Amino acid sequence: MNAFENAAPADGLTRRRGLLVPALILLLVFAALPALLAGFDKGYFYQIANLALIFVLLSASMHLVTGVAGLLHLGHAAFYGVGAYTAALLTSKLGLGFTVTLPLSGLVAALVAFLVALPTMRLVSIYFAVATLAIGQMLYLVMLNWVDFTKGPNGVIVSKGFELFGFSLSGRLGAYYTVAAVVTLSVIAIGRLSHSYYGNALRSIREDDQCADAMGVSTVRLKMEAFTLSAFFAGIAGSLWAHMTGYISPGDFKFSESILILAMVVVGGLGSLPGAVIGALLLILLPEGLRALGDFRNIMVGLVMFLSILLLPKGLLGEVSALRLVRRQLGAAWRNTGPANGKGEGIGWR
Amino acid sequence: MTHLLEIRNVSRRFGGVQAVGDVTAHVNEGELVGLIGPNGAGKTTLFNLISGFTPLSGGTVAFAGRTISGLKPNQVARLGISRTFQNLRVFPNMSVFDNVSVGAVGALPQGAFGALFGGLHRSGRDRSAEISRRTWEALEAVGLTHVAAELAANLPYGQRKYLEIARALAMRPRFLILDEPAAGLNDTETRDLAAFIKRLHGQGLTVMLVEHDMTLVMGICQRILVLASGRKIADGTPDAIRTDAAVLEAYLGVDE
Amino acid sequence: MFDPYYLQQLAIGLSLGMTYALMAIGFTLIFGVLNVVNFAHGEIYTLGAFAGLVLISATAPPIVAVILGALAIGALAGFSLERIAFKPFRRFTDEASLKSRAMRESTLLSSLAVSIVVREALEIVFGSQMRSVPFEYLINTPVRVGPVILVTGDFIIFGVAAAMLIGLQYLLTRTRVGLAIRAVSNNPLGAKYVGIDTDRTIITTFVVGSMMGAAAGILMGLYYGAVFPAMGFTPGIKAFVAMVMGGLSSIPGAVICALILGISESMATTFVSSGWSDMVAYGFLILTLIFFPNGLFGARRERV
Repeated sequence: MNAFENAAPADGLTRRRGLLVPALILLLVFAALPALLAGFDKGYFYQIANLALIFVLLSASMHLVTGVAGLLHLGHAAFYGVGAYTAALLTSKLGLGFTVTLPLSGLVAALVAFLVALPTMRLVSIYFAVATLAIGQMLYLVMLNWVDFTKGPNGVIVSKGFELFGFSLSGRLGAYYTVAAVVTLSVIAIGRLSHSYYGNALRSIREDDQCADAMGVSTVRLKMEAFTLSAFFAGIAGSLWAHMTGYISPGDFKFSESILILAMVVVGGLGSLPGAVIGALLLILLPEGLRALGDFRNIMVGLVMFLSILLLPKGLLGEVSALRLVRRQLGAAWRNTGPANGKGEGIGWR
Repeated sequence: MTHLLEIRNVSRRFGGVQAVGDVTAHVNEGELVGLIGPNGAGKTTLFNLISGFTPLSGGTVAFAGRTISGLKPNQVARLGISRTFQNLRVFPNMSVFDNVSVGAVGALPQGAFGALFGGLHRSGRDRSAEISRRTWEALEAVGLTHVAAELAANLPYGQRKYLEIARALAMRPRFLILDEPAAGLNDTETRDLAAFIKRLHGQGLTVMLVEHDMTLVMGICQRILVLASGRKIADGTPDAIRTDAAVLEAYLGVDE
Repeated sequence: MFDPYYLQQLAIGLSLGMTYALMAIGFTLIFGVLNVVNFAHGEIYTLGAFAGLVLISATAPPIVAVILGALAIGALAGFSLERIAFKPFRRFTDEASLKSRAMRESTLLSSLAVSIVVREALEIVFGSQMRSVPFEYLINTPVRVGPVILVTGDFIIFGVAAAMLIGLQYLLTRTRVGLAIRAVSNNPLGAKYVGIDTDRTIITTFVVGSMMGAAAGILMGLYYGAVFPAMGFTPGIKAFVAMVMGGLSSIPGAVICALILGISESMATTFVSSGWSDMVAYGFLILTLIFFPNGLFGARRERV
């Protein structure tokens, strides 16, 4: 009996402390990476490292809404796009620098998310997933077609690189450290959110929203917060992307990018932040590593996602089986709808 | 004198079916009340009407002098009514501790801001500590501290029942409603549960037991409400209920 | 009121709606039987179009043979799709229930993954550029009907859509296979108990639905004269919207909503540039979800 008691955590927040060590290790890796890459001395590696970091942030932000709160989100890339366009347009139209555009990108993306969430957050299950798909596509259409404002398919050139309060960080190394620092801080913030009692309340919505409601958790409000917060971090990632590449176009934020991010979260394991990070690194670095074979990046995404659903239902590190999540999410809607509702209606002709 | 819970002329229809019709009842502070009735009597519906899960078709529900009909379940819960579920609804992919902490955080919300920056100022730290303390207290009350780190899905059935009760207790409710807590338990386990409920009541908690089965209720409740076909047919002490003609008829059918 | 311009727009909208309907019929059929959203339906459509194109460029057969070839590929694709993306997940169910929630809903992600693989594979083989269909195969000879100008393709599409609806009606209500499909759709467990081979019925449904998707693909290829790997995405979304608007499991409902969608889009191009016309579909989808959670023609239900 005593052995069991010793095995129990002395305090419920041990997990939060447990997060500090991996974060520190990650930080060390980030700091040491340029030294490792120095041997190659190719800008290309920095590009890949930055891209991987940005997707780590995207994946982590989706972890918050899909992994923790359990909402299947099929339009995440659009909020990434909103952030990127905010940064690009503020730079090209008003001449603002990264220091200003970074927070504004996050805030604008969060604001847009909040506004579209107002009417849709009451939807449950598959309807929510479909609504996020539609919202994502609508935002994409705005980027593509509002030519006067967004320059449409031609994209926007972002003339300014990274800077902090006027101090330029635009060199190869500067850009890398900026991206790494912003991503690390954001991931730590997401970690704090998901490993707190607040995160537990979000998890309870994922597990059983009615039951969570009975425990005093205001489910609609929390879903909305999770959605908005994840859009905020996606917006931050967008700003990083805009200033890093110097040129953005709507194609960077289309549906397949949303699916790519979803695949990262699913492969890494729903509900696990380290999983989301590893999933992102895997799906960015693996195809780059195999570049010699040809442009197999997207097909790899599909294959890896399919195999992980088939063979690792919980992903690499997940707390919830992806299948079970989708089942729960979609089950609620389809229990009462469709032909199986026991009303004796089959397919077709009513 | 006002009652803790006041149900006035409450009714609920589902399509053409009158699930609960014109029920008036009350629960006093500090009481241990049973709500019984045969299958399909409307017990669970009445219970859902109280906890805000089902909107009322008519009538009002008041708690501690405040009308709660029309509130959402989470608002009702935050006013101090907490419940368990008939069909065991723990959060399977969360640890036992995290399960119970949801009850605590439901009653004592921690926002996103608190989660991010709570460690930086005193009130935030106090709130976390308070949530943690309530969680441990609830776990201790049901005797599950030794499995706090286990996944809820891995617990045996009986422990999951207590886990659900712990989660409800972590809210520090004024009024606890248990929906068929003895379902699926054997005689020994039911006796332990009865003793546990009595202990909770002894600590000053107002409890309502919704039960299909009479024995548990008869053994521990001070007062019993009986529903049949959506209507209240009796309200009295266990002894009075045991000999009540209407109750006997509802349970046993017309004596032939 | 009878401005020929609007009549023309109405006609264009109807033919556009017909193309969505072609897609929506197969999509709704598959959904209706298993309650699964088949995200790969758009890729079946693309496969049908590419099959036709390959046939044309290889042997230049008569147009009927092209369509038959597309149908064959559609059938094969439907079969493989069911085996790869749907069948493996049925093992997660308890033995008895073929249509348990586990199976029917978890396949959303797997069909999504398969659709990515198929689209990317097509891109690797054929390149992502549009490929044009040889001129002589196009079905866009103008035909004047009163004040309105249509093309031959409009009639063909209308004919095919009508034939599909009637054929499906016949299949579902007058044949043993249709009876089995309806039985599985209604109650898979019961169907199994009375000796229906549920596995085969499900495959049949996928094959029939996918053949319809492939037929839609090749017809659209011939109609617009362009075939490309990503061509299935937009019609797939439109079919999905039509299905949700129609109430999820009603084929006529989906067809009517597809027509409404087509007409709304073509009318919308009167006021805004054509790039925005997709907005109409998404707007409809969101509005339907918020205000008509059971679809425009769906039965009333307690809770969504």
